[in-house]
Amino acid sequence: MQKNGRTKAFLLKAMRMTVTQLAMLILFCGLASARDTKAQEVLNTTISLKIEAVEIKRVFSTIEKQAGVKFVYSPNAIRADQKVSLATTNKLSEVLKELLQPLQISYEVVGSRILLRKKMPEKAALSDEISTPVPNATVPSDQVVKGTVVDNEKGEPLPGVSVLLKGTQRGATTNPNGEFSLSVPNGDAVLVFSFVGYEPQELVVGNRTQINIKLKVDTKALEEVVVVGYGVVKKSDLTGSVAQVKSKELNSFPTANVLQALSGRAAGVQVTQNTGAPGGGVSVRIRGTNSIQGSNEPLYVVDGFPTTGSNPTILNNVDIESIEILKDASATAIYGSRGANGVVLITTKRGKSGKTKVDFETSFTSQTLIRKLDLMNANEYATFYNKQAANDNLAPYFTQAQLDGFGQGFDWQNLVFQKAPMKTTSLNISGGNDKTQFSVSGSFFGQDGIIKGSDYKRYSLRTNLTHKVSDKFSVNLSTTLSRLKTDRRDSEGGSRGNSMISAAISAPPTLMPYNDDGSYRVLAIAYPFVATDLINPLNFINEQTNRIKANRVLANAALIYNPIPEITVRISGGIENADDRTDNYTTRNYINSLGRASVSTTQQTSLLNENTISYNKTFGQGHNISAVAGVTYQDFVTTTLSASGTGFLSDIIETGGLGSAITPGIPESGYSKSVLLSYLGRVNYNLKDKYLITASIRRDGSSRYSEGNKWGYFPSGAVAWRVSSEEFMKTIPFVSDLKLRASWGLTGSQAISPYATLNQLSSFRTVFDDALFTTFSPGTRLPGNLKWETTEQKDIGVDVGILNNRVLLTADYYIKNTRDLLNTVVLPSSLGFTSTIQNIGEVQNKGFEFGIDSRLFTGAFKWDVNANISFNRNKVVKLYGGGDILTGNVNVVVINDVTSILREGQPIGQFWGYVEDGYTEKGAIKFKDLDGNGTITQTDKTYIGDPNPNFIYGFNSTMSYKNFDLSLFIQGVQGNDLFNVSSIVNTMDYGFGLNMPREVLYNHWTPSTPNAKYPIISRNTTTRVSNRFIEDGSYLRLRTIQLAYNLPLEKWGIKWVRSAQVYGSGQNLLTFTNYSWWDPEVNSRGGSNSTIQGIDHNSYPTAKSVTAGLRVSF
Amino acid sequence: MKKSLSSFIKIPSTLWNKKWLGVVLVLGLSSCEQLLKEEPKFIVAENFFNTAAEVEAATNAIYSPLRSTNYAVYETSLECQADYAYGRGSWAPLHEHQGLNDANISRVAGLWNAFYLSIRNANLVIQNAPKGKAISPADINKYVGEAKFLRAFNYFQLVRNWAGVPLRTEENMTQIDLRRSSVEEVYTLIQADLKEAETNLPDKPANVGRPSKWAAKTLLADVYLTLGKYTEARDKADEVIKSGKFSLVPIASKADFQTKVYGPELVSTTEEIFYLKYTRQVDQGNYMLWITNHPSTNLFNFGGAYVVYGQTTEPLYKGWNDADIRKSLWEKVNIGLGANTVISSKFADQKAISQTGAGNDDPVYAYADVLLIYAEAATRVNNAPTAQALEALNQVRRRGYGKTPTAVSSVDFVLADYNASTFVDAVIQERAYEFLYLGKRWLDLKRIGKVKEAIKAAKNVNVADKHLLWPVPTSELNFNKAMDPVKDQNPGY
Repeated sequence: MQKNGRTKAFLLKAMRMTVTQLAMLILFCGLASARDTKAQEVLNTTISLKIEAVEIKRVFSTIEKQAGVKFVYSPNAIRADQKVSLATTNKLSEVLKELLQPLQISYEVVGSRILLRKKMPEKAALSDEISTPVPNATVPSDQVVKGTVVDNEKGEPLPGVSVLLKGTQRGATTNPNGEFSLSVPNGDAVLVFSFVGYEPQELVVGNRTQINIKLKVDTKALEEVVVVGYGVVKKSDLTGSVAQVKSKELNSFPTANVLQALSGRAAGVQVTQNTGAPGGGVSVRIRGTNSIQGSNEPLYVVDGFPTTGSNPTILNNVDIESIEILKDASATAIYGSRGANGVVLITTKRGKSGKTKVDFETSFTSQTLIRKLDLMNANEYATFYNKQAANDNLAPYFTQAQLDGFGQGFDWQNLVFQKAPMKTTSLNISGGNDKTQFSVSGSFFGQDGIIKGSDYKRYSLRTNLTHKVSDKFSVNLSTTLSRLKTDRRDSEGGSRGNSMISAAISAPPTLMPYNDDGSYRVLAIAYPFVATDLINPLNFINEQTNRIKANRVLANAALIYNPIPEITVRISGGIENADDRTDNYTTRNYINSLGRASVSTTQQTSLLNENTISYNKTFGQGHNISAVAGVTYQDFVTTTLSASGTGFLSDIIETGGLGSAITPGIPESGYSKSVLLSYLGRVNYNLKDKYLITASIRRDGSSRYSEGNKWGYFPSGAVAWRVSSEEFMKTIPFVSDLKLRASWGLTGSQAISPYATLNQLSSFRTVFDDALFTTFSPGTRLPGNLKWETTEQKDIGVDVGILNNRVLLTADYYIKNTRDLLNTVVLPSSLGFTSTIQNIGEVQNKGFEFGIDSRLFTGAFKWDVNANISFNRNKVVKLYGGGDILTGNVNVVVINDVTSILREGQPIGQFWGYVEDGYTEKGAIKFKDLDGNGTITQTDKTYIGDPNPNFIYGFNSTMSYKNFDLSLFIQGVQGNDLFNVSSIVNTMDYGFGLNMPREVLYNHWTPSTPNAKYPIISRNTTTRVSNRFIEDGSYLRLRTIQLAYNLPLEKWGIKWVRSAQVYGSGQNLLTFTNYSWWDPEVNSRGGSNSTIQGIDHNSYPTAKSVTAGLRVSF
Repeated sequence: MKKSLSSFIKIPSTLWNKKWLGVVLVLGLSSCEQLLKEEPKFIVAENFFNTAAEVEAATNAIYSPLRSTNYAVYETSLECQADYAYGRGSWAPLHEHQGLNDANISRVAGLWNAFYLSIRNANLVIQNAPKGKAISPADINKYVGEAKFLRAFNYFQLVRNWAGVPLRTEENMTQIDLRRSSVEEVYTLIQADLKEAETNLPDKPANVGRPSKWAAKTLLADVYLTLGKYTEARDKADEVIKSGKFSLVPIASKADFQTKVYGPELVSTTEEIFYLKYTRQVDQGNYMLWITNHPSTNLFNFGGAYVVYGQTTEPLYKGWNDADIRKSLWEKVNIGLGANTVISSKFADQKAISQTGAGNDDPVYAYADVLLIYAEAATRVNNAPTAQALEALNQVRRRGYGKTPTAVSSVDFVLADYNASTFVDAVIQERAYEFLYLGKRWLDLKRIGKVKEAIKAAKNVNVADKHLLWPVPTSELNFNKAMDPVKDQNPGY
């Protein structure tokens, strides 16, 4: 932008172009000046050095750290071990001059890279420097070849390029004008041109004596690597569908669960917060729902360790370097029987050699209820129930005098919900030298819930250590220790105010929570018409505790052996351990309670041993093979213990002395173990960076399945064609990268729990005399022979880079077919066994995903935008006997029915119910008699909604100018339906004194308003699972907006701080939705195994929040 | 497993051996099948039923499906259909007598499941106990007898409410598709099972709550009565009476009923023949209290759902002598349905530990039942009331009025006042007073063929034919391919 001349030139050119091209130009107008500006910026960076006889390579790495640059040089040309001394604080350009001139080294800045070259003595046109392995003078001269080597992009001559006669030690380097001269034996000779930062090239001399060659900048060197299962690959070499989310995005706002930070960040990944409770669960669906019986959550792999459990709660977001999401079978098949739902690879931060770096971050957030429901006030409430009484021919409940005196009344939402703080702090120290690198961090996350008494705290200590024992051996250790502590107030669901959330909206505004003597008011007897279920929410808030304390350990150590550079042998062992203890106590003050206490503990331990060998070699003319093979063992042991007691003399004891209970409960314990034994292998073949082939296979043996069905094979294959590397594409410089991908593979799902195939007897108790006796009997599920669920996935995709990769586009189309689906098969109930599980059934998911990543402006004003959108369609292809599976039972007194259906040909979890058809002349709801038999029966049910979204999307914008960064992140879901179970009772269950939204009072049926939203206010109103409760769950949400200011430390002359940033941000400040209840991001039944999505049943509501934070680096 | 893990760990020391991977693979493969074998820490069915203790634990499991909340729900469902009672809320369609609606269909389907689960557990004992390796023939007979008693008990409930049902025995317990048997076939099995139980069950079982041979005779008497085999019914009841092992507990007040007859702290009484036992333990108490109680009564310390109630305007209540202490167990309680509402205070426990933690037993068969079965059967056989039948009826009545059960009293029925028909009516009426809230009335009315008459008289409602039987659950018809979903469903559903 600074160079007006250039911009003008561009605009002049632009006038001659087509409209499209013009549009493109305007979009990317920041492009032109980018590189020069960057170079200037880099050279103006202030560097501070104080060194005494230090190897120059160490000096380079110091400068790299300070200036954020990368030195590129050929060790042949520049001796990295020569020692220098220097003490200065100056601009980089000056420092380089001071440092390099005496050494006869010149430099050139390309982006953030600084290319170093040996300065040529002016006279020496042909080189015979030390860098030339063998001086050409000693070689018999048969034929002399001369030529020039220039840069592919700028056409500038490249000095210092090594020109080698292939297969010999004979060679030369180019002079400052890029010229070389070399004698070769004959025309068959092959010359190899190589220079750091450029792609090597080979050429047959033939009968030429003059060879001019262009070296191509090695863009791959600039590109990041992507973590895949059992290895890393360069992004450009990927053949599968993998999405990457970086730490900056993960850390842009505080979340209790790192998965919440993934929401909207990657195409094809749907993240739904099940509840707003602190530390509440999150459902993740990658490319749809595959399984009816088993988990639909992806496998989470932390630093190579496949963890148990559906949410990785051990880590704080700041500990994470990147998250890779493996989506297609080519990427996930290496995880075999656990890959069907996708794989999420989490990589924690590692140390880098160089100056020790200290990063400190802290933030403070204030959260409030996202919005209050607009409920009736006291006067409206009394009016409303008098109407009900009148409609039901009862005497009015309230007199006119009472009505007049009520006014606004008491706001129960204000009693239950509060403004709550959330704090995060982390300190990370990282660094190291050539031999050892380390990263140590401690962090704290503390969130108070917006419901009084609820909170979630996590303390976490993490160490990553890498040490090079010798040239051939290195070791690597990563450990994370976390302590989780949460107090929960998650009395959700329920009806008529028998859960806290339900009570918060149902309690009569005419009543205060306390009696005059300070005791809790018993709402159920406050008025004769009030539901007996209605409980004063203070009971849940003050008289019930549910505290979970958990210690989590994840430790993984690896020994790495490189017998030769091409081979890496890795032996690793790891432990994951989770010790959870839950303490529940209900005081004697709780309604109808004698004091109830229970303690339960769960210990889960997983041991992992992985042994892999990988091989990476480039042969001949651009053949690259990398391969990995391995054997892994992982076991999972869970033990549980629980005890309880009822009836306590004092509340002081809480869970501290179960033995003092008047009625001690029966202790319970459990044990389960499963083993997974696997063999895996993968080969990547890369021909000239144009043709990429990947094939992998995993053989998994699982103890969970029946004899003879324990082993499964999970192969995959993928091909990619990097079209942009083809000659014919060179003529289209607009397209800087173009890759077509196709993959196929099989993955599995461990959809059953251990011992599911055994005929287990369970023990319970029964009573004789007045005492307990033990019973042993089978459960109601008949064990059957079971094998894997298998998902076959096909994916085709394209990656496009435009304008030197300034705009990157990714598009994928996939089809996933899951077969041998484990399905509950219902047995005749007279059998005593009511169900069994069989491998029957098929589900299909298919869809499109698009992602765009662009750097719109790269000058002083930087603007990066990335966006993604994905469309998934799923359907049930086959079920046992073609029969429907009705699921999602909802029991809220006025309705006790199922909400959802699984039916062949239909999407998973469609809502299933009656269709309303206006009102009768008396104001009762009419339902459509779809089967026309004159009565309303179950056969009148139909599809009334679909919880699967049409598409999901995310949009992220990051702008920076001078010291300011502004980022905003928008995320949304479109076209999904929600089943608002909360509203069944609180808008339709009249006559039990429950408070309701104001609109029920002002918009109900009367003879003069026959088309009102709600029926007549009468306790005889009947309702059914109907389309009334289905609402559009689409939303667009400003998930976060952040303004950050980077303190101008330089200006202030502060040297001891590397960088400092203060920021303010807001989360969930704006949500566009038509949903009537608290928030459309809700999933009350969203467990990992659930096929029931989109239910809102008095869930802990979401919060909106504002954050202030500080990030400092020393 | 340990072996192969250590072989993995040794790998570093063998790295320089280029065959190391092969070694690992071979080690892994040779031991992997062993690694993948499941070794649970629980008992699998195949290794069970060997000792007397194991068979007893399996026998105990026959009670669980009944004892849980199911039997209270069962009795309440039946009671809501009685002429003197009403169901509240979702239970109301039961007293409307026009057939069951969705909520009640699914509720009684749960009962079907419970009875059949209990039957499955009985069949497991009947099938496996005789194969036990370390159990005496006497113990086998005892437990098989207990299982057969309970299997007959379950089928007796099924056949009376659903008519003919699939007859699952130890022979066909794993056969998924099984046809619906006839009512006769079901009763044939019930009688056979009970005759065996009567022979093999002990005179005095090891624990209160297990059936004795007297319990088997009582149940058999009830079965015979239902089948119209009055002679056999009379004789079986008479055997129990003549045994001299049972007597009615004398009472003097309403409180005595609540503590000495139905009290939460009783372990047993002289009138207990076969009760479902409950105790104040978590989920081991009687659910009936929560179902029937109203929170305002102070009879139960965990509130209540008051789903079944009566009206003082009904014939039974109006015709009930106020001197009968049992009448006072119907308490007037305003539950929001008017001042005439009465609900039962038969069961009271103020020291329950939870909604399902009341200590009161469920008196399924008490001595009064034996006396009244005898009174009715003897009268029907003789075609006129006998002195002994009169005495049996009077014992129940005297106790109800707080008199000494075995002494002549002012409230006694007088033989001269009755013929066979009026006497049987009086017995049936006495059963209503005595067994209020125990779910017997509806089945009595069905048995004597007076359902429609009685309901019409009390509520002025015509009972729909479909209401006389409960529907076979769709969970049976959909998945039992030997049953026709239309033809094998009960009429009207």
